[in-house]
Amino acid sequence: MTERRIGVYVCNCGTNIANVVDCDAVAEAAQSLPGVAVSRSYKYMCSNPGQEMIVQDIREEGLDRVVVAACSPRMHEPTFRRAAEMAGLNPYLVQMANIREQCSWVHDPGETATDKAKDLVRAAVYRAACHEPLERMAVEMCPDTLVIGGGIAGMSAALELADAGNRVYLVERTASLGGNVARVDLTAPYLDSARDMIVDRVTRVVEHPNVDVLLESELERLDGFVGNFKATLVRRSSGEAPPRQVVDVGSVVVCTGYKEFDAARVTHFGYGKLPDVITSFEFEQMLKQGRIELKDGRLPQYVAIVHCVGSRSEEFHGYCSRVCCMTALKYAHEVKSALPKAYVSDVYVDMHAFGKGCEDFYRRSAEVKTLFLMYGKGERPVVRRADPGDDCEMLLTVDEQLSGELIELPADLIILMVGMEPRDDAGQVAHLVNISQDKDGWFIESHPKLDPVATTTDGVYIAGACQSPKDIPDSVAQARAAAARILGKISRGKLEIDAMYAEVDEDLCSGCRVCNEICPYSAIEFDEEKRRSHVISALCKACGACVATCPSAAIKARHFTDAQIFAEITGVLA
Amino acid sequence: MAGEKLQIALYWGAACGGCDVAVLDTNEFILDVHAAADIRLWPIAVDGKYADVEAMEDGELDLALYNGAVRNSENEHIAKLLRRKSKVLVAFGSCAHLGGIPGLANLASRDEIMNVAYLHNPSIEKGNTTLPRPESGVNGSTLTIPEFYKRVYELDDVVPVDYYVPGCPPAADRIKEVLQAVVSGGLPVPGSVVGANETALCDECPRTKNEKKVKAFHRPWQVMIDPETCLLEQGVLCAGVATRGGCGARCPSSGIPCRGCYGPLPGVVDQGAKLLSAVVSVIDSNDAEEIDRILDGLPDFTGFAYRFSAPSSLLQRSVRQ
Amino acid sequence: MSFEPKIVSFLCNWCSYSGADLAGTSRVHYKPNVRVIRVMCSARVDPTFVVKALAEGADGVLVCGCHPGDCHYSEGNYKTMRRMPLLKRMLADFGIEEERVRLEWVSASEGTRFADIVDDMTERLRALGPSRVKTALAYDAVER
Repeated sequence: MTERRIGVYVCNCGTNIANVVDCDAVAEAAQSLPGVAVSRSYKYMCSNPGQEMIVQDIREEGLDRVVVAACSPRMHEPTFRRAAEMAGLNPYLVQMANIREQCSWVHDPGETATDKAKDLVRAAVYRAACHEPLERMAVEMCPDTLVIGGGIAGMSAALELADAGNRVYLVERTASLGGNVARVDLTAPYLDSARDMIVDRVTRVVEHPNVDVLLESELERLDGFVGNFKATLVRRSSGEAPPRQVVDVGSVVVCTGYKEFDAARVTHFGYGKLPDVITSFEFEQMLKQGRIELKDGRLPQYVAIVHCVGSRSEEFHGYCSRVCCMTALKYAHEVKSALPKAYVSDVYVDMHAFGKGCEDFYRRSAEVKTLFLMYGKGERPVVRRADPGDDCEMLLTVDEQLSGELIELPADLIILMVGMEPRDDAGQVAHLVNISQDKDGWFIESHPKLDPVATTTDGVYIAGACQSPKDIPDSVAQARAAAARILGKISRGKLEIDAMYAEVDEDLCSGCRVCNEICPYSAIEFDEEKRRSHVISALCKACGACVATCPSAAIKARHFTDAQIFAEITGVLA
Repeated sequence: MAGEKLQIALYWGAACGGCDVAVLDTNEFILDVHAAADIRLWPIAVDGKYADVEAMEDGELDLALYNGAVRNSENEHIAKLLRRKSKVLVAFGSCAHLGGIPGLANLASRDEIMNVAYLHNPSIEKGNTTLPRPESGVNGSTLTIPEFYKRVYELDDVVPVDYYVPGCPPAADRIKEVLQAVVSGGLPVPGSVVGANETALCDECPRTKNEKKVKAFHRPWQVMIDPETCLLEQGVLCAGVATRGGCGARCPSSGIPCRGCYGPLPGVVDQGAKLLSAVVSVIDSNDAEEIDRILDGLPDFTGFAYRFSAPSSLLQRSVRQ
Repeated sequence: MSFEPKIVSFLCNWCSYSGADLAGTSRVHYKPNVRVIRVMCSARVDPTFVVKALAEGADGVLVCGCHPGDCHYSEGNYKTMRRMPLLKRMLADFGIEEERVRLEWVSASEGTRFADIVDDMTERLRALGPSRVKTALAYDAVER
């Protein structure tokens, strides 16, 4: 091997690294490693002057490899790859050593942390010496999109894409569009009609020449990769041999929404046993029919609304479902306008009124004479039948936090504000489109703050309440953001996909076919004629399973070769 | 080299003698060898003393074929002697190449081996606790025998080796090729494996290969083996996927799984680890308990995976004291 | 000086490496004995890597991947799940103690779990003492 000229850059990250690791000592130690031409320690490598330092050294010192010891490669690898590219160095000749997230932030200051950083830098230097320049592949971007779920998010994404002139396949499992929003009467905080909103969207979607609405249909299989997916769609309604179609799409937006928490899982409210304990969605149904009444047809005199059913509890879901507080206030308004003489009490844990216009709405609700009672998180208001002679049907016992008193509240109708939870088959959907779920079952976005609609699978986006509980405006915003991401890709026409994939050296392959079954993407094909296996690089997602399996060492994982990983092993242990 | 005969030596270290017999398996070709070469040392076939070799000039031999592993001090001594006296030293056969069958002893400690061989063995007289020692006094004089090392080494652990001819034993046709190459000067760059293929055994195995998924492993005698299809697909452990070809696939052709004697493929650093990876990949289960049960069908997998290569593997030997 | 084990850890990029990063961003401290090598999937971990790490002086090897059913590559971790038990059986035949090689599932949200595993493994290896592999091989090279 000709002598390498490696540049090593040890980032201090202000004091984030330098307070724990002796960065100057790490840079000095790296100086004597084989092939290292330049080794520097600098305050902020990711800053403009930091990147400029690398660019200049590549040009003036003739560096052929760059090692940056800094934060996680998941954070700034793209940054330093771009810097190398600017200086005319292939971006795959850059290697990072993670001395922040996996060193300075998790260890105490001192020699051991510094020693560990030196080990990690040595491994990166050894590895970088084995790096090879790689070229990214350019692939076509199919401008068609698959949107899964015909709720408010799905329809919004579909319209945004279709209005821009692109074909959209909108797949909805049920027989109608609208999703959960279609089950709602008015919406908080402006009390505008959900129906009007939905009807307008549905009409536009159905009539749109660029949108193919597929009702009672599901995604059965998704093959391919960003820009070039093949989606198998199946119609569920029609008996024995359901009709299938395979469509080519470049992107997928998952908008599968949520389902409401099953109130029967909470026993102390008597849901399912007491006739007039109902869920928020059952109450919406009543509102849509225009008549608030008890099971026996009488009008309720006392209406109690209970918050956080299934939400913010250790027993069920720890998270807040976000829309129930404002929906509860909306109910107070609707009850008061339908039954001005009724007493409405609102039994809550904390009042979450964080959205635009929500705080005003909360204030206005107090003005319509709603009685607010606060119960403690983890406490359980208990419902029982009222005694004969009481002028109400039920009694709700609340350990009221503000007064400190145990209050028995009369109630004829109790509305349980049930929270949101992931749909039962969210796991199957995640599996189909290869995305992950968090501990509660919601789909995980690429980055919680900086990349909230993309996922870890390139070309697959998430929008709406399938990602976490969300109100209508947030769902719509996310849907249109996903559409915008896709439109950006469509407008570029071609996509560059990562240069990491596996390749078979046909001179070494024996045709044993051990690897054929290993690939989860069927990217390995066996050529009967040549009796050799080969990798269809566009389908390969670079996991490396076949590489580890190949007993002939005939498959190479580009950028994760045996030689590179061996060098890293030797490096950390030297 | 015209007119002058090649000077060659053949030697066996820790070996079974099969490699020497394999040379004779070249049949009448051995006469050509004899015509082209003076055989200066070949303990199994011709008379010759160590002293004769010691008396040679350094580099006097053109070629030495060393078969067998290095198990004791005598093996090492002769290996070093032949290295000095020969221009080209070849590790001949699996034992010299990788450690071979004797190398399996590296999975046990020297004490364990001595215990089994000399102390706790049905054929040992009760109460006899005699153990071999490098030196022992007999009737006032000292007898010496070679020292039995703690472990087995492959040839290139003790001397630099020019070429490796794999196989247990090497196939006769390939021996011919190698010897012809020596005569004609057609040997590749030193350090190469010769007389073997660059691809795995499967490449020359006549059995048909399909995608592989198995729910259980079987010993060859436990199942009716289909003569047409890949053994591994039938759940019969076969080392062919992780083993160099070149032998002509004699074992799988006759219904016997490959045992791995031609060693790892070029680019593979540890034959056993690679074989392990390939073998488990055909297991058709995602359930930890079921996987464990299926693995129970692979008794002494380590012995199988490293049957010929333990001393040259990454771990080389057991670290049990 | 007391014995400080060196652990080489192979982490899959999507779950476990992110989990280890999360431990960092959440400032969950753990023992500095671990050296991480990033791979795209735990299925990339060739048994050769584990063996090589042990041969070159690692006192322990920790392989982490996504939880079963949650692999970014849909089923890569199942391949690891099949490989590691046989590898452990094999290492036992080479006299290598079971605790030295460990397979764990760590998701992207389990920073604390990663830290706990590293601490636990460090403690166990401290109790077990240094691996004899590297010293044995060095010994063999000089002394027969």
